[in-house]
Amino acid sequence: MSQMSLWWWALPVVLLPILWHRQKREQTKTALLASARFLPAAEPKMQRVWRWHDVVLMLLRCLLLATLIALLADLVLAWRGDTVLVVPGTPAAVVDREAAQRITLADRDAVTWLHAHEREFERNARLVVVGDAVMPAVLPRFRHAVALRTSAMPVAPAERHVAVFSDRADAWRRLFAAAEGPWHIVVDAVPGPRTDLVVWDRPDAPPAGLGGRLWHADGGPPRDADRARALFAAWQRQFLGPLPYTAPAQTLAPDAAAPAGPASGALRHWLGLALVVLFALERSVTHVRRR
Amino acid sequence: MLSASSLIAHATNLDLVVRHVLAGLGHGIHAGRERGAGVEFSEYRAYAPGDEWRRVDWKLLARADRYYVREAERDSHVAVWLVLDATASMAEPSRTIEGLTKLQYARVLLACVAAIAQRQGDAFGLVVCRGERADFTPAGRGPRQLQRVLARLNGVDAGGVLPGADTLRASLHFSRAPGVVCVASDFLDWPSPLSDALLRLRRMRHDVRALCLHTQAEVEAAFDTAPSYRDPEHGDVFYRFGSDVRDTYARNRAAHFDEVVRACRKNDLPLVQACIEQAPGEVLRAWLRAHIAGVRGA
Repeated sequence: MSQMSLWWWALPVVLLPILWHRQKREQTKTALLASARFLPAAEPKMQRVWRWHDVVLMLLRCLLLATLIALLADLVLAWRGDTVLVVPGTPAAVVDREAAQRITLADRDAVTWLHAHEREFERNARLVVVGDAVMPAVLPRFRHAVALRTSAMPVAPAERHVAVFSDRADAWRRLFAAAEGPWHIVVDAVPGPRTDLVVWDRPDAPPAGLGGRLWHADGGPPRDADRARALFAAWQRQFLGPLPYTAPAQTLAPDAAAPAGPASGALRHWLGLALVVLFALERSVTHVRRR
Repeated sequence: MLSASSLIAHATNLDLVVRHVLAGLGHGIHAGRERGAGVEFSEYRAYAPGDEWRRVDWKLLARADRYYVREAERDSHVAVWLVLDATASMAEPSRTIEGLTKLQYARVLLACVAAIAQRQGDAFGLVVCRGERADFTPAGRGPRQLQRVLARLNGVDAGGVLPGADTLRASLHFSRAPGVVCVASDFLDWPSPLSDALLRLRRMRHDVRALCLHTQAEVEAAFDTAPSYRDPEHGDVFYRFGSDVRDTYARNRAAHFDEVVRACRKNDLPLVQACIEQAPGEVLRAWLRAHIAGVRGA
């Protein structure tokens, strides 16, 4: 309940059209009195009866208000059932083993996505994450049972282009060729648009407008393996950030006390569309009624 | 035994009610100038229903085997004009006697006057004011005229407002000959074209006798407080009755009828005010005697 939007408290506003559309009726008990002229004039008593006029218009207005409130409150419907969350790049053979609704995630961070969208799932929905999902920093808590069937993918080495300005270009070339792991370093003669790194190993100052990330490397390339590893680690830390680990495969038990995630605005588009349509209908019906 | 007012409320036969009322009244209220119905014989006339049996010539019946009535040579000096206000306000019901309205009461009293006039051999006519019109029944004598007038009175229902001054002036062309004008109304509209016409007739030395009808509820200012009220003749204004406005009602009403009485007294026009819950015989007697008293007083 604590996660419900305060906008839902505006829901009684829907009662307003219902009250407005109640029929007024003149008080039926009027009698003729010949000597009424000797009495003071009074306002005719009107009484409302539990009957409505323009029921279609009234329903449209109620719907319009309800839709507006739902839009403002960012309505979340628990409409997803058992689901398989597929991390991109997962082989089809792995995915096909799970028979359920599939959602292909945008990136590897399945836990963050699940936190954002957890309220869209039914209470008893079972969730399975397959593929190379990222391990979060702390053990995640969900209200649903989530099975992580993760497996590390062999990562194809990413091409990284390096331009070297040095008198010892061959030594640099050897160093980059020895890079292992997810590195495949291509040394270009001149910096291009794909260049990640420019190594400047010359005593004079580099010209302005060289582009890319510039490294001043005084003293040439490192000469032993440890210093070379340290150099690569520094490069990665500085420019690429830490590489995520693959989350270990496990089953997370449902935790009822887990905080529900924020509303994701998944229905915002449809609610907005419904609001426009309802508004147009309401205006049309009102216009027809006035004529 | 029903009271006479209840009888008015329930009887559909006006003739019967008239007989009932007049039976309790006795003879000799009306100071007629012609005595009897056959002082100076004029002619025989075929019997018509309503003729008095004592006027049938029995010897002629024996000879001719037909009923004939002896007609007397007469020349009545006065014509009696019955003026009935049948506007919508006259439909005001008695709040104590079910089914009794001012119109019914006025109708019965005017019918009684017509019957008396017929017995005395006076000519009588009828003017019914309703729906902005004045329906005119020409004056005549005899039992057929009485039936005609009673039928006309029986057929009247209340509705509309009083006719305008021009219409009334056109309708009261009888004012050339001397006459008795008996008016039954509620006089809630005063001054009105009707009141102006009555005062004008009075100034022309006609014998005008006005009967102003009230209901017991009006006199006591005792109405149901639950409904809102509307004036039957004047628009869609709503009125409210309650204990808080009771005094105001009584004061306004008293002021209005004080004005009516003052205008009548000023013009020497005898006015009798009566509640429709009163016995019609007594009211009729008071109405006619007020005139006599007025004449004697004048």
